[in-house]
Amino acid sequence: MKRYLFIVALLLGNAFASIAQNIGTEPGNIAPEISLPTPAGNVLELSSLKGKLVLVDFWGTWCSPCMEEQHDLLRLYKKYKKVRFTNGEGFEIYGVSLDAKKANWESTIAALQINWIQVSDLKYWRSPVAKTYKIEALPFNLLIDGKGIVLAKNLHGTDLEKAISKQIIK
Amino acid sequence: MKIKILTLLLLVMTVVASASTGSSSQGGGDPWTAQQLLNPAELAKILNTPKAPQPVIFSVGMEPIIKGSVDIGPTVMKGNLDNLKQRLAKLPKSTSIVVYCGCCPFVNCPNIRPAMQLLGEMKFTNYKLLNVPQNIKVDWIDKGYPMSE
Repeated sequence: MKRYLFIVALLLGNAFASIAQNIGTEPGNIAPEISLPTPAGNVLELSSLKGKLVLVDFWGTWCSPCMEEQHDLLRLYKKYKKVRFTNGEGFEIYGVSLDAKKANWESTIAALQINWIQVSDLKYWRSPVAKTYKIEALPFNLLIDGKGIVLAKNLHGTDLEKAISKQIIK
Repeated sequence: MKIKILTLLLLVMTVVASASTGSSSQGGGDPWTAQQLLNPAELAKILNTPKAPQPVIFSVGMEPIIKGSVDIGPTVMKGNLDNLKQRLAKLPKSTSIVVYCGCCPFVNCPNIRPAMQLLGEMKFTNYKLLNVPQNIKVDWIDKGYPMSE
């Protein structure tokens, strides 16, 4: 009997593992890789942040709801930056801008002091990353854990903060 | 009795005032009519038919995505709106014109209103706004319509 249960558990475990291994933007998926340059021109991969709780935030300086949200993201960033989470040591934001002009992008980062990781290919709505992440509107975000697995999609305001604080080690 | 009538009158006046404010904010709305909205599929069809008369297409947003469109830049900025004004001044009033931005849904777009307003003020007679309910990615790029290089 024990042996039978062990085999069932093993099979179920494998099934769950294979679901989690799917690359995609739904909770349980592995977030697709993003490899884009920072304002300084250094390519910074999303996967390099493994080990941290990460908010992948898609935004643009031309998107007014995104701009309104940045102040709140800054507050969350400061509050949770050094917190230990179940599956991540510290909180990071990986901001992906769909801007077209570098000057607008850089000056807005400086003005709002949103000095977390910022990347962009400056291709506006033509950016391949918008297609990979199936983005249909901005703002758009994913909360991913230290293993790169999507925990939540498109949460904003208090819902986003609840999802972050839920991950704190009690 | 007098007080009651006065109260009633005040109440009626308040209701009428709020109703008229509501209707003016609805009616005073956007500088285009439903007839001036151009379906993206229709414009794509025109662009894919080179023999058809082609409109002058102005991109008034971040980047010109549509094939053959003239890059004005975001008309929320006065300099870009002035640029559009100068270009329009050289065109006959009956020119077929299409304006688009496509950054965001109309409600959040800061560029389409100044551009459409200007066309009206300059007395153009045949100008349209590309009907982009979501954005230029969903309503143009994803549909495989003709794009600029």
